[in-house]
Amino acid sequence: MEMKEIREILKLLEKHDITDFTLQRGDHRIRVRRGGAVFEREVAVPVKTAPSPGMVPPPSPVEAPAAQPETLAVGEKQFVVTSPIVGTFYRAPSPESPPYVDVGQTVSKGTVLCIVEAMKIMNEIESEVNGKISAILVENAQPVEYGEPLFIIDLA
Amino acid sequence: MSRLFSKILIANRGEIALRVIRACRELGIKTVALFSEADRDSLHARFADESICIGPPNSQQSYLNIPAGISAAEISDAEAIHPGYGFLAENPEFAEVCEASGITFIGPQSAHIKLMGNKIQARKLAVRAGVPIPGGLDGLDDPEEALHGAKKLGFPVIIKAAAGGGGRGIRVVHSEASFRTAFSMAQSEAGSSFGNPEVYVERFIESPRHVEIQILADHHGNIVHLGERECSIQRRYQKLIEESPSPALDEKLRRKMGEAAVALTREAGYVNAGTVEFLLDGDGNFFFMEMNTRIQVEHPVTEMVTGVDLVKEQIRISANMPLDIRQEDVVLRGHAIECRINAEDPEKFTPNPGTISFYYAPGGPGIRVDSAAFESYYIPPYYDSMVAKLIAHGRDREEALSRMQRALEEFVIEGVKTTLPLHLRILGKMKFRKGEYGTDFLDKMLS
Repeated sequence: MEMKEIREILKLLEKHDITDFTLQRGDHRIRVRRGGAVFEREVAVPVKTAPSPGMVPPPSPVEAPAAQPETLAVGEKQFVVTSPIVGTFYRAPSPESPPYVDVGQTVSKGTVLCIVEAMKIMNEIESEVNGKISAILVENAQPVEYGEPLFIIDLA
Repeated sequence: MSRLFSKILIANRGEIALRVIRACRELGIKTVALFSEADRDSLHARFADESICIGPPNSQQSYLNIPAGISAAEISDAEAIHPGYGFLAENPEFAEVCEASGITFIGPQSAHIKLMGNKIQARKLAVRAGVPIPGGLDGLDDPEEALHGAKKLGFPVIIKAAAGGGGRGIRVVHSEASFRTAFSMAQSEAGSSFGNPEVYVERFIESPRHVEIQILADHHGNIVHLGERECSIQRRYQKLIEESPSPALDEKLRRKMGEAAVALTREAGYVNAGTVEFLLDGDGNFFFMEMNTRIQVEHPVTEMVTGVDLVKEQIRISANMPLDIRQEDVVLRGHAIECRINAEDPEKFTPNPGTISFYYAPGGPGIRVDSAAFESYYIPPYYDSMVAKLIAHGRDREEALSRMQRALEEFVIEGVKTTLPLHLRILGKMKFRKGEYGTDFLDKMLS
């Protein structure tokens, strides 16, 4: 990574007032921290807010694990499939059928990976890349929100 | 006995989403917030018991996305949806999908939203209810025929889109010469903006006041009105300052307008909270303009003078509960004023999104601030520019005005330009102080 790029990043972080930032490209990893706050956030993962006791949720140390954003480490040669809609995630077309894909399976562009059901409509989610399923991040029949990571694919 | 909901989804953002969350908390109802990717750190997403990201920043794909909203209600097991104002609040299709999905829409039935959404139909309803409307013509599509009618009404006239409302799709024509072109342009604008080219022509009322009546109607045939809101301080038909009671109404006129609003509501068979908007001329004649089928931005001024929590009432009504107030219980106590603080250039009115670097909201006796802003909050450019509603209540108009004045001076919002200085200028005007103003006040002040 060049100094010019790092300078660009620093400028952007300051502009948007980001306090903690990590970027990983292959073996290179850069982490920038501004001010006091510390938390790992390598890929923006939807934050599920835990029920908070008061109107202003202070970052109480007891509750911290629940309120922290989940961390998802993704390598350079990996691709994250996110949910394009809010709905319920299904790994198979019906409870009896086998799942569309499993970990380790090779997929190509257009391979159906799962279904996200919204308003009784089954939306098939297809792979946008060629590669191998490295991880399935959501349990069958779980609700998912827009942008929630569903699969990690190792790029071919 | 009916039961309140155990969980409500709020299909909105900003201060109104927060307002609904507050009402739900007080009623012991769990809340689900929807948010777009641009609102991940916003207060409504943080204060709700659960929150669900439903789409990218663009509101078409997030806050206006009906399937996403319904799907979010389904995965979170919400029994009802509160639409707030704006976005899907007056979309009959959304209310209809809620009804079909077995989710209670906290508002009127879809049929009533549709009825009031067509201003020509609403005018006809007013006539049936015996409510006065401005002289006018509808069912016209030929400019020649329309011109003939306009001459009879007498210029200036006002051309409005049937599917318009809220100040959109309005054109004032001062002379016969410009009428034909204006009429055709209004038709094509209505077609492209609202998907319905129908327009109607009304007699133009010179320097009127905009006075609206708040109503509540339950499923058991009870209807009450909660007095008026004076909303004449407007810029391009967008309200900036509202107050209750109106300096122009006496008890007799208030009762007359209130009864007209109730008659219209009854004639329609309308249920839930609603607002009947009237134009009031200098001689105390009032004319029906439109009915808004949602909670209004300016609802707090009514809450301050009546002591009725309108959002809680909406929820109770939707849960089939009867109103527990009768008309004789409604008393206007003191005076309330609201200033809408927008992130806008106070002179040019261009929106000014950005990060609030310092924020201090005023307090003290008689002050209420409804806002979702805080220090370091980033005002995204995708949505409307309102940052806060500042409401002052006093035992009379004089006290409410002095409280508003000092609260505006206390309010600190840095990092973005706001309309705070404009409000101070308006409050400094003698005509405003005396309550002698119409809808043309602000345009005159700024020109």
